Amino acid sequence: MTEIKKTYKNYVDGKYVRSESGKTYTVELKSESYELPLTSKKDLRDAVTSSKSGFDSWNKLSQYNRTQIIYRLSEMIEGNRDSYVEILLDYGLTKAAANKDIDNAINTIVWYAGLADKWEQLTGNLNPVVGEYFNISHQEPIGVVFSLNSTEISIDKLLSSFLPALSIGCSVINLSEKNAVLSLKLAEDINNSDLPSGALNLLSGDFSKILDDVSRHVEINALASYKKLNKENLKIINENASTSVKRIFHLPSEEGLSSILPFIETKTVWHPKGR
Amino acid sequence: MVKWEYSESIESDSIVSIQDKYGHFIDGKFSTPNSKNYLKTVSPSTEEVLASISIGNKKDVDKAVNAAKEGFKRWSKTTPSERAKYLYKLARLIQERSREFAVLESMDGGKPIKESRDFDLPQVASNFFYFAGWADKLDISWGAKEMKPYGVVGQIIPWNFPLLMLAWKVAPALATGNTVVLKPAETTPLTALLFAELCEEVGLPKGVFNLVTGDGTTGAELVNHEGISKIAFTGSTSVGKYIQNAVGERDIGLTLELGGKAANIVYNDAALDQAVEGVVNGIFFNQGHVCCAGSRLLLQEDIHDEFINKLEKRMQTLRVGNPLDKNTDIGAINSKEQLDKITSLVNEGVNDGGELFQIECELPSSGYWYRPSLFTNVQPSYNIAREEIFGPVLTTLTFRTPEEAVEIANNTEYGLSAGIWTEKGSKILWTADRLDAGVIWANTFNKFDPSSPFGGYKESGFGREGGRHGLLSYLKVRS
Repeated sequence: MTEIKKTYKNYVDGKYVRSESGKTYTVELKSESYELPLTSKKDLRDAVTSSKSGFDSWNKLSQYNRTQIIYRLSEMIEGNRDSYVEILLDYGLTKAAANKDIDNAINTIVWYAGLADKWEQLTGNLNPVVGEYFNISHQEPIGVVFSLNSTEISIDKLLSSFLPALSIGCSVINLSEKNAVLSLKLAEDINNSDLPSGALNLLSGDFSKILDDVSRHVEINALASYKKLNKENLKIINENASTSVKRIFHLPSEEGLSSILPFIETKTVWHPKGR
Repeated sequence: MVKWEYSESIESDSIVSIQDKYGHFIDGKFSTPNSKNYLKTVSPSTEEVLASISIGNKKDVDKAVNAAKEGFKRWSKTTPSERAKYLYKLARLIQERSREFAVLESMDGGKPIKESRDFDLPQVASNFFYFAGWADKLDISWGAKEMKPYGVVGQIIPWNFPLLMLAWKVAPALATGNTVVLKPAETTPLTALLFAELCEEVGLPKGVFNLVTGDGTTGAELVNHEGISKIAFTGSTSVGKYIQNAVGERDIGLTLELGGKAANIVYNDAALDQAVEGVVNGIFFNQGHVCCAGSRLLLQEDIHDEFINKLEKRMQTLRVGNPLDKNTDIGAINSKEQLDKITSLVNEGVNDGGELFQIECELPSSGYWYRPSLFTNVQPSYNIAREEIFGPVLTTLTFRTPEEAVEIANNTEYGLSAGIWTEKGSKILWTADRLDAGVIWANTFNKFDPSSPFGGYKESGFGREGGRHGLLSYLKVRS
């Protein structure tokens, strides 16, 4: 029987789409060769539009509900463990290493699932101001985040490049480069986890081809790169980001409470006390 | 209306002694600048020259950064508890010499003595006290496994709250173990120079606090210096953008506290007399030279006429004049340059079609002054409704529904602060949730505290100053 091969597509606004440019790039692995969408500037803009509305729909859900949706992703991955292992093996990992990575990935998801309804308690607080005032530092998600995945071959690392922002209510556009087979595969389980469309968009391609637009786009509120960038790229990013005072995070923390700090806006509200 | 006459009550300036000429404070002592260029700092209320200040050049900045690098080695070897004690001692000395600082601040910057004495200086001291107490508790502040200071921090501060902005920058930076090269604003360097004397007096280790005076060229040398690991800036959005651009390929820390055009929303169910007081304080505090000033008054349509009537009456009681007079509400505009900017924006507002009310009062014959001003009949597209005027000029817009109020309030690139006036608690919370602003005052305005984080959304900058959150601006945290 003829073997049927899956076409890998970007995951934008809850749909699987090719690049509007029609361009692809090849990822040659041990046993298989993959043709992945080469994300264009137009694709990026579409993803931003989707992320804007995704931010609203993600934030309409209660934090309790968001916890369950993120937790469901771990259930999905566990159910499809073999297919992830297969890709990781193709990328050159040993079977033990691949299974270990899935174990770690599931633990990471479980950690962030439980954080979704606790992070504000851990980062916000009342402030003991002088005088008869109630003063509280409320915590809010920053908005639309673009995150660049690290170059590691790891589902766990991939998750760590978007769950910190996603779990606190940001919508995320995540780009993977040579390891993008992992993220486009993950898109299927994301889609089955009841995440609202646009809350997470997964793209594949070459960051250097879109970094100018990413750093310039005023509707992207923060850019986080989990991949070490060269000086030339950093220069372009800072210059472009300065036109709208965009937040730039180069190699932010990938775990623990510190991983979510870049994506928080602190809003401090005062009110007098009286009779 | 009864016109009340006040006798003058002038705070004596004999308490301050100002030198003719100042050098930079580097490596624990004042030294002769390499730069041969000086600028004169004048009193904006008299136009008298107070002193000559060096315009620090590349070599001066270089020397200061190198001193701060050596200072960082020393500072890193002191225990957190010792660092705390230095800051506590500074706080105490500031309290002791508070009157001297207040008078000097009012002379150099033009703000009323009742503000420098009752607001700026108490806040300066409390910032040092507050952050002193964090110095030996950093490990429990954010529950981090690892936290490190950046190293040498370059700090650039504005002229509106000269010493208070120094305190907001220097106290948390030193408490978290960084060392500092500070550049005060060119028009208001004197209190920072006096603060440097206190550092000498408490025996702060050499190189921990360094001060280079100058203008924008000096600031640029500091921003572009390779030895700086982090830049903290407070000032205009345009300079903030220049700095973010100048960071370029360097992987360094950056926090920006930039401009604002805050909406002060008054709902029709507000306690109107209280709201009038809050709106007056929101825009006329410190001559409106306040980045978080409530410069856009958003009035619910049905109370517009009544509110404006009350507001104009209240404005007319404001006393404009000598900053050293204890009765003065509105002091001098900080500089000729700023006065020109305010005048030009107000003229533009009139030409656009805005209706201008200015209070009737006598202005001193010398110095830089501007009458408290109120615009009504303004379209949201006018520049006076969009641009930061940074002066005693309030612009009024109207709205019909809470949704519309929020939409107008957020329709700006800025996002520093906002005000909400209503007696209905649920409406406060509903509105506060929807405003893009880092600080929201409900039924109050322009309140500050070292424990309360301050900083903006959007183009008003990033990072927070003050509170537990303020520590994060000076620490690299892994938890």
